[in-house]
Amino acid sequence: MLVVLQGTTFLVLVSLFALTGSRAPTAVINSDGSVLSRAFIGDLEAAHDSFSIRSMTPQEARSELDMGRIVAIISIPKGFGESISHGRTALVTVQVDNVDADMTDDIERAVPSAIVLFGDHLHFNGIRARSVEHDEIPHDTGYVQYLVVSALALDILVIAGVVAGSAVAREWETGAAAIWQTAGSASGFILGKVAAASAVGALGTVPPMLLVVFAYGVVPVHWATTVMALAGCCVLCACAGAALGASIKRVVPASALLFGLAIPLYMDSGALEPERFDGNKIWALAHLSPLYSVVGVMEDAFHGLHVTPEPVGIDALIMIAWAVAAFIAACLLASRRLGR
Amino acid sequence: MTWLAAFRLDLARWRRGRAMLAAALIPPLAMGLFVWALALSVGRQPVALVVEDHGPQATIMADIIRSDQEAYALKGTNLRTAEEMLADQQVAAVIVIPHNFDAGVAAATATVDLTLNNVDIDFGDDIRRAVARSVAQFDAPDLGFGGERLQGGMSTVVPNPYRVAIAEVPLRKTNVGFIAYQLAPVVLFVVLSAGALGVGWLTADDTRSGALRFLRTTPASSLALACGRVVAAITVVCLIDALPVTYAAIIEHLDLARTAMVCSLVVLTGTVGVGLGLVVALIFRRPPLVGMASTTLCSYLFFLGGGFTTIAFLPSWLQTASDVVPTRYAIDGLRQVLFYAQPQHLALDVTVLLAVAVASVAVAAAGIASAS
Repeated sequence: MLVVLQGTTFLVLVSLFALTGSRAPTAVINSDGSVLSRAFIGDLEAAHDSFSIRSMTPQEARSELDMGRIVAIISIPKGFGESISHGRTALVTVQVDNVDADMTDDIERAVPSAIVLFGDHLHFNGIRARSVEHDEIPHDTGYVQYLVVSALALDILVIAGVVAGSAVAREWETGAAAIWQTAGSASGFILGKVAAASAVGALGTVPPMLLVVFAYGVVPVHWATTVMALAGCCVLCACAGAALGASIKRVVPASALLFGLAIPLYMDSGALEPERFDGNKIWALAHLSPLYSVVGVMEDAFHGLHVTPEPVGIDALIMIAWAVAAFIAACLLASRRLGR
Repeated sequence: MTWLAAFRLDLARWRRGRAMLAAALIPPLAMGLFVWALALSVGRQPVALVVEDHGPQATIMADIIRSDQEAYALKGTNLRTAEEMLADQQVAAVIVIPHNFDAGVAAATATVDLTLNNVDIDFGDDIRRAVARSVAQFDAPDLGFGGERLQGGMSTVVPNPYRVAIAEVPLRKTNVGFIAYQLAPVVLFVVLSAGALGVGWLTADDTRSGALRFLRTTPASSLALACGRVVAAITVVCLIDALPVTYAAIIEHLDLARTAMVCSLVVLTGTVGVGLGLVVALIFRRPPLVGMASTTLCSYLFFLGGGFTTIAFLPSWLQTASDVVPTRYAIDGLRQVLFYAQPQHLALDVTVLLAVAVASVAVAAAGIASAS
């Protein structure tokens, strides 16, 4: 139960992180109230998911900024509309709570892009160049929607991995391994543990999967591939957990190590964006994470997105290869530990 | 001096319990690695630039894009190679300054073509904003990189064809990078996790082995035993965090007062962790369960406290919930002391943290005393 809770925790927490990627909570103080000032606010809201705009009085805005509930205040001065109507340039003040450079950079890019939208919509003279965008994919995928899919892989690693790792390690911690030394084979022992952990992992994936579909509204575009990918991921992670449990032989360190390893393995798997965007070295390193191919298959199954340069079929084969390798490693480790 | 004996005994158990320490330290250290790796994917995006026109206006446009090194990790190339790089995910977008750009500028119809791999809106929107700003800068230099801050320092408005200028007023005198801002809370996560998991595990182990029941038959005071455990745990978590705190003090050039404040925040957070660990041990009792519950609890406290998020971006109900999360005050206080010239709400942060630390340890110690 606790493992499932921890798995779901990762999903929720990752989606919380995703919220910081866009729509900076921003107060707008509109001292003008003209049609043009309202049009400008509309362009701020439309500027590439940059702002979550809240209209406020100066006092309210200052108070919210002090309490850390907004990160910027955009003040539209009185006479804004009149200045623009007469061909003059109006000055908009942007107060930024520049807590870190990254967030400040985002806002510094977002306000000019809203101004560009404003100028384009009103067809002002003197604008000589514009950008024309061609998207590779006909629809945008929200960051939360993208991340929760890869977070499912993380959940499965935690649930199936910890269950398998604990189940295998417990045999040594409780002294039951001695019984396995006299009966059965190491591969049979591991196969049983992996099968049980995969089944528990599959059951444990149901709550986060329901959360993804019903709470986050992410419905897989390929259901059959989704089910196969989730099942394959359960087996892969159970094999990896069993290998870790057989090598550490103690329940709590094995679980903690899996929790600890889960995050870096997840990070280096293209979970946040296609891994190759981070450079060839990091992309090459990503192939050391079994979750790299899992995320490749799952993003395709849920969103129809190709997030690895490799075809999805190759990613699926790599998943199988990882599972087989982890199973063999677990068997060899268990065999050595059992003295066989 | 029963508490001193308990203190020494627990110190010895901490020293021998390498697996316990590893279990406590691996999750926060992994989180630190996570933050560091994340910083690699934040900010600059890999983009190919293709310049097909070599006229003066196209050169100006290309120079504007090349100069914005904060937004783009630029690779200059030809159109065919750029398309291959986009297909192969070596770049996230291709910006083309077409062959008729100069002629387009003369007719006010020039375009800069952006082809975007919009897999998700996070980096996709970053690129869209950056390209929009670069194109705006062509006709309105003050809307470009750094222009907002320049305009903020001027008394007259510089006209531009978009008819809107920006004066940016940063509220803080700081230039905190993403890595430093996000890594600072990991220092607190380490003490929180070590305190909660370490003490929780020791206590659960005592419950499992019957040591707590045995102690009931001895003349040792239960309160003194609880005090010894708490003081030993706080000592250990302080030792664990001594190195990162020293490093932070040197890197951020902290004076003595600020260093003392950082140490206080670390000790208080460690104490909160110890208190929570004791409470978790009283509830779950079995060491594996206590280990898992402590890790889960610490993860929640770290995230909801703003350790990996900016509270202002969360939904309002979560912001309200985070008001009662003690790590919020610890993380906020640490960032204020480390990064900002004029720390805000520091008194509130320390007071809340102190109250929670005292209350959690008192409740847990009373629980241990009654259990033993």
